[in-house]
Amino acid sequence: MPLDYQPILLPNPGRTTAVTLVEYEARGGYAGLKKALEKTPDEVTAVVKDAGLKGRGGAGFPTGLKWSFVPKMPGPKYLVVNADESEPGTFKDRDIMEVEPHTLIEGVAIGSYAIGCELAFIYIRGEYTVAGDRLNAALAECKKAGLLGQPSQLKKADGTPFVLDIIVFLGAGAYICGEETALIESLEGSRPMPRSRPPFPAVAGLYMRPTVVNNVETMANVPFILDKGVDAYKAIGNPPNNTGPKIFCLSGHVKKPGNYELPLGKITLRQFIEEYGGGTPSGRPVKAVLPAGVSAPIIHSSQLDAVMDYDGIKGAGSMLGSASFIVMDDSVDMAWAATRMVEFFRHESCGKCTPCREGTNWLEKTMFRILEGKGKESDLETLQFVSKQIAGNTLCALGDFATSPVTSSLKHFKDDYLLRIGKKSDRAAE
Amino acid sequence: MTLSAATVTAIHAEVARYPSKKTALLPALKLAQKDRGWLSKETLGEVADLVGLPHSHAVELATFYAMLFTEPVAPVRVEFCIQLPCALAGAEAALDKAAKLLDVEMQGTHGTRHGHTKDHQIELHGTVECYGACHRAPMCRVGDDYVENLKTDDDLKKLVGDLKIRAQQAPGH
Ligand SMILES: Cc1cc2nc3c(=O)[nH]c(=O)nc-3n(C[C@H](O)[C@H](O)[C@H](O)COP(=O)(O)O)c2cc1C
Ligand code: SF4
Ligand code: FES
Repeated sequence: MPLDYQPILLPNPGRTTAVTLVEYEARGGYAGLKKALEKTPDEVTAVVKDAGLKGRGGAGFPTGLKWSFVPKMPGPKYLVVNADESEPGTFKDRDIMEVEPHTLIEGVAIGSYAIGCELAFIYIRGEYTVAGDRLNAALAECKKAGLLGQPSQLKKADGTPFVLDIIVFLGAGAYICGEETALIESLEGSRPMPRSRPPFPAVAGLYMRPTVVNNVETMANVPFILDKGVDAYKAIGNPPNNTGPKIFCLSGHVKKPGNYELPLGKITLRQFIEEYGGGTPSGRPVKAVLPAGVSAPIIHSSQLDAVMDYDGIKGAGSMLGSASFIVMDDSVDMAWAATRMVEFFRHESCGKCTPCREGTNWLEKTMFRILEGKGKESDLETLQFVSKQIAGNTLCALGDFATSPVTSSLKHFKDDYLLRIGKKSDRAAE
Repeated sequence: MTLSAATVTAIHAEVARYPSKKTALLPALKLAQKDRGWLSKETLGEVADLVGLPHSHAVELATFYAMLFTEPVAPVRVEFCIQLPCALAGAEAALDKAAKLLDVEMQGTHGTRHGHTKDHQIELHGTVECYGACHRAPMCRVGDDYVENLKTDDDLKKLVGDLKIRAQQAPGH
């Protein structure tokens, strides 16, 4: 039985047009912003902290805590929304921006007030031109209605006008721009290569000023928290570690792919695939699932009873990350699947650190050789060796990501490789 | 000068828009590409001059981003996503069928494959980047437009018909 749950991030499943300001306000939109402006910025940050909201961009860092790191110094501070969404299997931020642009804008306005930002950026991957156009249209509606501007018609708790402009900025095709310091470099007009830390963006980010980078979905959670309160928010999900709603992207071998907004921690992976996804189109059993796009270890079908939240997916040996679930039935050769993922990382490595630049090349060449039937057993050792050289030795997490399809497929599905290199003649599954 | 007056005006507006003029470089390059189709050395220099930065800065960005082209491209550029979710939904077969219908011979192996029609008006690419449309796979991008749910032969025939019309309407045909 599907859960009895009223979605708050994507309350209009199936809708393909943007919700207008009139529609948004009719369902109580911008009440969260108005309530936030009655509080002090620190109180707003405290509310978000208490709510237990964790970043939805992948790392799951507590959002209120991140905001509290911003120093209280005079001068510009920036809120930058990460809408680069380029993780294979991920299409949730796109849906929020295309259909619910005002939810994001309201979240950005609340976050900007909390950290003292008067100019915020929404950095969208270059391919999402529709999302960009719709956000710009929604921003124009807000300016006209006096909700945004230099100054807006809204008043802050201290009696002064609320001041905020939001700039929509489109990238030009590069997965690395999703990494927050590369994103900042891209916004500054430099080659988007990750920075070494410290300094952290909270202290010296965009234009070397204090900067918060948050994911689209993270920001979309904020209006509800301010409007309905911490208790209402905590009633959703599985507190303390897994509070709130989550959009789960579902793709691959399922009958009904799409975005499903559900409370964290209420169903198992098996229920998700069967009850929401409708099972595999072929009717064949599930062989493996990727829970965080191609960037976290593959989950073996023996783990399908894992609960869909941060802790549950971790317990299954992987990570919830962006919650992009890619399902594969037992017809899939995991050596082939892992190769496709490695091709992605080889293509997207920014080239700044040697282990990632050279290592992803080496992995790809070795995988190609195996796929082409020219592999040897020693190639499997090479894959393990190269993965070990990359993991933990790079400037950003892309290096680690690149190794996880390789090491996890070798761990759970070594037979698929042995078959390719002629060391095994029969597919166990067939 | 290769850029139109309208593009120059739009680039000036970008330069005035951000706290730092350097931020305007990427939007300016995209505007220039929209105008010219691709970014020649000459165009890159012009853009850098308009933004007020050394030419090398423009080259650095243009050679990094997948959506910026430093070589001429066909008027109709088609990118089929064949990253894992799309591949599981039959993207590679869809790309092959589209190539066949267009009489395009594909080159390359694995994820990155490409080819063009004999008149060079349409180019087809298989790309390993996901475009955030995996739930509507197979899909492709035609220029900036998403064409999704290419599930049946009829969907592909319709796509190919649209591509041919676009190619005919392209400037310089
Ligand atoms: C290679 C790489 C790609 C990333 N891509 C994205 C992305 O597309 N969107 C995103 O929100 N975060 C992405 N992240 C995570 C960001 O660096 C950052 O943690 C996140 O935007 C913080 O927002 P949150 O706290 O709201 O999750 C990526 C990280 C890495 C290392
Ligand atoms: S790990 Fe890879 S993507 Fe990240 S900074 Fe190093 S080379 Fe660039
Ligand atoms: S994998 Fe093709 S659009 Fe995502």
